[in-house]
Amino acid sequence: MTPIQWGTLMFGVLLLLLAVRVHIGIAMLMTGSIGYVFVAGFDPLMSYFKSAAYARFSVYDLSVVPLFLLMGQFATHGGLSKALFQAGNAFIGHWRGGMAMAGVTACAGFGAICGSSLATAATMGQVALPELKAHGYSGRFATAVLSAGGTLGILIPPSVPLVIYAILTEQNIAKLFLAAFIPGILAAIGYMVVIAIVARVSPEDAPAGDRYSWPQRLQALVETWPVMLIFAVVIGGIYGGFFTPTEAASIGTVATAFVAWRSGGLRGKGFLQCMYGTAAATGMIFLILLGADVLNVFLVLTQVNVALANWVIGLNVSPILVMFVIIFIYLVLGCIMDSLSMILLTIPIFFPIVMGLDLWGLDPESKAIWFGIIVLMVVEIGLITPPVGMNVFIINSLAKDVPMKETFKYVMPFLASDLLRITVIVFAPSLVLFVLKI
Amino acid sequence: MADIVVTEDTTQYEGIALALDKSCKLLAILGGLTLVCMAIMSLWSILGRSFFSSPLLGDYELVQMLSGMAVAMTLPYAQWIGGHVIVDFFTAKASVKTNALMDMIAALLMALFSAVITWRLVVGLVDLKSTLDASMMLNLPTWWSYVPMTVSFALLTATALFTANTNLRKLLK
Repeated sequence: MTPIQWGTLMFGVLLLLLAVRVHIGIAMLMTGSIGYVFVAGFDPLMSYFKSAAYARFSVYDLSVVPLFLLMGQFATHGGLSKALFQAGNAFIGHWRGGMAMAGVTACAGFGAICGSSLATAATMGQVALPELKAHGYSGRFATAVLSAGGTLGILIPPSVPLVIYAILTEQNIAKLFLAAFIPGILAAIGYMVVIAIVARVSPEDAPAGDRYSWPQRLQALVETWPVMLIFAVVIGGIYGGFFTPTEAASIGTVATAFVAWRSGGLRGKGFLQCMYGTAAATGMIFLILLGADVLNVFLVLTQVNVALANWVIGLNVSPILVMFVIIFIYLVLGCIMDSLSMILLTIPIFFPIVMGLDLWGLDPESKAIWFGIIVLMVVEIGLITPPVGMNVFIINSLAKDVPMKETFKYVMPFLASDLLRITVIVFAPSLVLFVLKI
Repeated sequence: MADIVVTEDTTQYEGIALALDKSCKLLAILGGLTLVCMAIMSLWSILGRSFFSSPLLGDYELVQMLSGMAVAMTLPYAQWIGGHVIVDFFTAKASVKTNALMDMIAALLMALFSAVITWRLVVGLVDLKSTLDASMMLNLPTWWSYVPMTVSFALLTATALFTANTNLRKLLK
């Protein structure tokens, strides 16, 4: 068999293993290893295993991932989500649906110091859900708003999936973070427009809240200063080149830990919960990273991804059509897989294809950044689509009286706004790229 | 993506389960503390180079070593709480026993691979120790990082075997 046939066969085996509940990391590790043995031999594989785990876990650029996760845990225990929600509410809570919009702005704010969507959804859910219900919002609408709002956690930098994308494709993390900004803000605006429309169409779901005076508003805004400061230092520092992403995340971790300690969030079991939460997320991500590493070595040996890319480019179909097919594949995969596994599994295959296509005459770096942002937005949709929208699961589990189906139904308009935004950005890459030229 | 909301675990464990529970949690805490140390060290390095013009020597390689150890130490805990991701879309409607069978096989595969990696780590450790491989700046022996990694993968193997056994019991019930 040719290496390309081997590659294709192994990919089939991988999908089969995934379907029968083998852990994603282990399934990648296994197919990669089998392929490796047949292409290169058993002894090279065994010698590779001697250093594979250390080599993968001790990559300097990757060390930012556990730090961002730890920072998110401390931020969750620091009461910052509450301050953000109250600040948003003080300003726009009296609008129709205003309190839900405040939930979205608070999610965006929390996303600015937390690189994970589930953590954002969970912490905002705990803070905002009881308030929304107390002010007469329907459970189905409140849960939908917070599920969708939670996706801002990874869209607005820092973002763990974006770090992984940057490392896989050897792009600059700082530029990717900066490029994710405008799409993140567009997403927040899109969600707020959806809320405004729903509030007009069915006012019983989203009533108006209390009005606050200006001194109260400013007071509420002042309470959010740690978020603004941490965000400015972390993202500003990375982009300004003052420190590496790992150093920036270290500052953020120490700062959020300080805030959590000051607010009493680390008392009792608080600190241990931060440790456990970080360990669970880190372990989960790095097992997949280890598996993907072995699988990638095999891909490099067989060159199957390059062959596929050449084949697609040789088809001479419209590049935009190819883009939409890729997006469609992500949407389907998003219904059954988590975002990080999707990125690790597909980027080595799709990235060479996209880089080989002529898309709007973009230079390679701009194209890589633009594609990264599109991938980020598309995989994030998987968090709110049935049957396994993790954000919806988490928020819904906080509101026992709301049927899951109702939440999913109310998530649909938010999904529509996501799809619209993605389409716009596919056709207008400059929306993402112009911030890099300032 | 990429995060699990940890709920309070109130199960009363005994025997092997208790030992696994304690050791997985201990490693998870050590991993977290290692990360905290790494963060403080980076902060020190930044302060040192920006205000006292005395950069911390070898901060880059310390981050690499610490993150390698910390990450490995989180793996057993993630398995203990069932946190490693699977695709359950295609088997959502299958019976409890069918799923228990598949989960048992999956856990055995994980045990197999982590056992192989544990073995290779031990071999790697011995190699590195005999060749006196060390980091560039601080001359720290590379095999040091291999010690917590070996322990972590050994515990991951044990935890995966325990998961396999739990599923076997479900299957036989």
